[in-house]
Amino acid sequence: MASLRGMSQAQIRFPKPDFESGYQYPELSYVVPNETLWVWLDIFMLILLMGIVTWAVYKKRTRRPIFWISVISVAYFGFFRSGCVCSIGSIQNIALAMVDSTYHLPLTVLLFFILPVLFAFLFGRVFCAGVCPFGALQELVNVKNYRLSRAVTVALGMIPWLYLIFAILYAVTRSRFIICQFDPFIGIFRLGGDVGLILFGALLLILSVFTGRPFCRFLCPYGALLSLFSSVSIWKIRLTRKNCINCELCHNSCPVDAIRAPYANKVKEKRTAGVRRLVGYLAILPLLIVSGAFLMRSASPDLSRANKEVRLYDLVEEHEANPEEELSLELEAFYGQGRTMEELASTYEAKQEEFRFYSTVAGAFIGLVIGLALIRLSVRRTRKRYEIHHADCVACGMCFSYCPQNKPSVESQKLSES
Amino acid sequence: MNKDIYRNVAAITAIFIISLSVMLITNYFQVRGVSPLKMEVVETLKQLNDTSSDNLELQEQIRQLDLLARRAYFIQADHLKLGVYILLGMVLVFVTSLRFYFKGEMHIPDKEIDPIDEWMLKSKSRKYITWGTLGLVVVALLFVCLSSPFLKTDKTDGEAAETLLAENAQAVDDSEIAETPLKPEVPANELDMIDEHVPAEARDTIDDTTNDATLANEVLPAVSEEPRPVVSKVTHNAFRGNNSNGISAAKGIPVKWDLGSGVNIAWKKEVPRQGYNSPVINGNHVFFTGADDKARELYCYDLTTGEPQWSLEATDIPGSPSVLPKVTEDTGLASSTVATDGERVCAVFATGDVICADMEGKRLWGKNLGVPDNHYGFASSLLIWGNTLFIQYDNNSDPKLIALDVATGNQRWVKNRAGKSCWSSPAIAYVDQKPQLILMGNPAITAYNPASGEQLWQVDCMGGEVCSCPCSVDGVIFGANEYAKLVAINGADGKILWESSDYLPEVSSPAATKDLLYIATSYGVLAAYDTKTGALVKEHELNVEFYSSPMIVEGKLYLFSNDGKMHIFSTDKEFKLLASFETGERTMATPAFTDGKIVVRTEKSIYCVAAK
Amino acid sequence: MKEKKDQPKNSPIKRREFIRLCGSVVAGGTILAVAGGMSWKVKGEDASLFWQIDPNVCTQCGRCETHCVLPVSAVKCIHANKVCGYCDLCGGYYRSNVKDLNTAAENMMCPTGAIQRKFVEDPYFEYTIDEDLCNGCGKCVKGCTSFGNGSLYLQIKQDLCLNCNECQISTVCASGAITRVPYATAYKLKG
Repeated sequence: MASLRGMSQAQIRFPKPDFESGYQYPELSYVVPNETLWVWLDIFMLILLMGIVTWAVYKKRTRRPIFWISVISVAYFGFFRSGCVCSIGSIQNIALAMVDSTYHLPLTVLLFFILPVLFAFLFGRVFCAGVCPFGALQELVNVKNYRLSRAVTVALGMIPWLYLIFAILYAVTRSRFIICQFDPFIGIFRLGGDVGLILFGALLLILSVFTGRPFCRFLCPYGALLSLFSSVSIWKIRLTRKNCINCELCHNSCPVDAIRAPYANKVKEKRTAGVRRLVGYLAILPLLIVSGAFLMRSASPDLSRANKEVRLYDLVEEHEANPEEELSLELEAFYGQGRTMEELASTYEAKQEEFRFYSTVAGAFIGLVIGLALIRLSVRRTRKRYEIHHADCVACGMCFSYCPQNKPSVESQKLSES
Repeated sequence: MNKDIYRNVAAITAIFIISLSVMLITNYFQVRGVSPLKMEVVETLKQLNDTSSDNLELQEQIRQLDLLARRAYFIQADHLKLGVYILLGMVLVFVTSLRFYFKGEMHIPDKEIDPIDEWMLKSKSRKYITWGTLGLVVVALLFVCLSSPFLKTDKTDGEAAETLLAENAQAVDDSEIAETPLKPEVPANELDMIDEHVPAEARDTIDDTTNDATLANEVLPAVSEEPRPVVSKVTHNAFRGNNSNGISAAKGIPVKWDLGSGVNIAWKKEVPRQGYNSPVINGNHVFFTGADDKARELYCYDLTTGEPQWSLEATDIPGSPSVLPKVTEDTGLASSTVATDGERVCAVFATGDVICADMEGKRLWGKNLGVPDNHYGFASSLLIWGNTLFIQYDNNSDPKLIALDVATGNQRWVKNRAGKSCWSSPAIAYVDQKPQLILMGNPAITAYNPASGEQLWQVDCMGGEVCSCPCSVDGVIFGANEYAKLVAINGADGKILWESSDYLPEVSSPAATKDLLYIATSYGVLAAYDTKTGALVKEHELNVEFYSSPMIVEGKLYLFSNDGKMHIFSTDKEFKLLASFETGERTMATPAFTDGKIVVRTEKSIYCVAAK
Repeated sequence: MKEKKDQPKNSPIKRREFIRLCGSVVAGGTILAVAGGMSWKVKGEDASLFWQIDPNVCTQCGRCETHCVLPVSAVKCIHANKVCGYCDLCGGYYRSNVKDLNTAAENMMCPTGAIQRKFVEDPYFEYTIDEDLCNGCGKCVKGCTSFGNGSLYLQIKQDLCLNCNECQISTVCASGAITRVPYATAYKLKG
């Protein structure tokens, strides 16, 4: 097939001219930029910046270096390197590499994926603090911190999980990289691109002037992934070396609302009622998983439309039904390449099968995520002090300067960045 | 003090940013879809210029507009870039001053918006999540429900067209639309034709709705009730009639004429340039081509008067070779018959040039397909189905089947073919009321879906230098060639029904009625085979040479021998020679038929036979 | 036995600690597994890092011009001199149905004037592409492929391309000609 296609294209209609004037063919060479250098610089920068954040958070307990790291990251990873490849998008490459043996994963992508995860596992989400250009950009424009209702943020916090699941679904089916396609900030970094997305990005940035990191909290799928690791991280970020005096100052400083107030039961509810609820949720968890799987399975034909081959098949089928209609570009290419309906139909069937399987799995995961969230929200916790919720904490270091127990920052309180 | 400055800077930049963004966004929405380089006006003007000759004013206008467009394109790009840079700078200043303004300001404890009690908060969150989930489920269900019924109806529609007898009338409409959206007259003609080649069946089996014939009978009355216009609706759109099948629906055909005495000759004209192609009739137009070393031309003559209406020379075609390809005397540069759809007419020459004109002789497009590598010269005729033009481009180096858009000349699809040069022409066969594009070549007969070019079946049965074309009846495709064999193929599955090799044609193509298949050999035998069994029913030895192909019209078979002798046979079981007479000039081309008229091309002239 | 009984009593903290430890072990294990598993997939030289157009598959649908994330597409027309026929009547240089072979606007194919030609010797002309002007619309490529030798073809210029994780053009490419390629075949050159 390939050779035939090649033949049809590389048609020599006119013979090579015999030049009599001694004409020489011009030498044209197309250089491939030396990516390796940049690749290693990127990785070096990634590790260096995350290292500095770790140092600032654990040793110095100060925000100032983190602020500058945000500036560097926005300038380097954002504007200079144009935001590709980023850790958020690398999820899809990893997912694709897991199922597609023909896909050769570039080393950078792997490192961009695994290093922040590793750091999150060791030290918490230091990547989010300022190394990620998206978080850094939002952090830099943030001046006021209006808090949102926790109930709302918790509910909105489900979106990243769904986004993650769909991103992986579309990546493993080789349909598209939706995280990259609907990236709101990339257009800003590249000073051009899809206008709708740039406007969305601008809207997010305007929002983040008044409230901390809307993208990180309510959209970022990588943040969702990192939160898993940071919640079980080996070292934990601490507000102060000394004892908390429950002054409540830090609570207001946190842009992502990761500092939880001390809590003693005030609403009286019978223990049995609580237990019954918990058991109830545990019981409906499998139901949620099964119904999620079922729903997504039935929706898989719709979901599969995102795949190019599936869309092409639909187009061809439609065209075969009314052959007189004007050929679209896709159909022209399809017929021009001499591809046959049988071949396409078999790809189509395979894709549909793939989608049926992966949609089912994705649906099960959606059910699982929702169920687990409900279960987590029915567990009663007691806290005596202000505590950092490590899953949500992005290690931005805002709170350090607020804590009166943090000696060095008390002095520089007036000077330090807010 | 400083704070005031920062505040003022921030305020000013904010105003600036807002106004600039508003400008950029409104500008975007204004110019969205208006790409200066793709302006409709310039494009239409250019096309106008292509067709008009040396309109200096128009050219000047194009140049002005083109300059404007290019300028607009580059300036727009530059301005956008500048605007974005300014905006970015402003945003930077704004954010910086804002940060400085708020520097040192602590996030003081603001009013607690959440309930103090965390348990209440969690309950609330649970509620939100539950509602959100329910919302998602509803959306998902909506999607599933909305999409699945559509899918089902789509499928049943497709099946219904195939199977349901009750909806046969609908199917007729469908097939009419599918075939020729452009010309309403052709379907009627098609049906005439179907009526013609299944005359007995059609009348006997009126209730059998699956039969093509009934379709014809259902629609026919409506057609025949109309007062017959002066110009016959029966067309002869390609080599060997519509669909290139050797059958015409024409009526009132003369059975005797003579060039010498002028009996039944309406008009006769000298052919400006040589060519072995056959004439084609649509409405009052007669089309044919001619070529020599100097020019290759497409001609249109008036059917009634025989006056030349226009001619179009194939020149100024990009890629057209400056040196004419070598062709033999008995092939020439214009062996391919033209094809028309009643609105446009297309012609191809042995140089690989294809041109298309409208009925007024205005050139619509022209392109070169690459010079065919063919040792006699390219000879395959054109065929139009719907708005697609098919070119069987079988040559030694790169044989292929090309489908072009008749209106624009744009390639719809192309199929690479295996094999060698051949001189056969494509034909359309109807199998189960679905069209198949049949190509004969060395080594195979192949059927394609004319809409997509998808290969439906292929039968390896041909060999030698294939000149003869296929024909079909009732879903059975017949193909035959000297040094190979005669085969009958079931169009539904591509299985060979029967084969024979008693009499094989060299140049002439077969034609078939429902019962009999006719083969004219170059050594002067006209043989009839049973279409069902392949049994040789009868043969006539005439001691002449047949290059022209037989045409079946009004229950008779018309066949020219090379010396210009006309042979008319009955197409019933008797297969009698009804008439045989000299017409006066050597004739290789296949005549074209319309109601009451025959247009014949001889070596030197073209003439029209009409009963007086 | 005694321990088991004791545990529930002072459980909340201990139990949580234990769960967290389990979590840590699982998380660490996952990282190791992913890193290990993926490192098998990493093949330095073969890594699919670049995007490129296969000129034999490309149908010049014109979307390269409009769908690249860059303001002016990173896809440019490239000319393979060794395939070119050096014709006077060039299907990529002139519009089809051209009447006079001059540089008047109504005769030119390229909308930005990026194709330049130079007389070599009778009857040959050399064509060159000014990449700064080229916007990758592929009109000339279509002309050259349908009427000529196909010496003009589209390629993604790697020095301009941003190497997006997923090429925006590839998501809309009508023929699926844009694929990831390793360093060695970063350009698919003709001739």
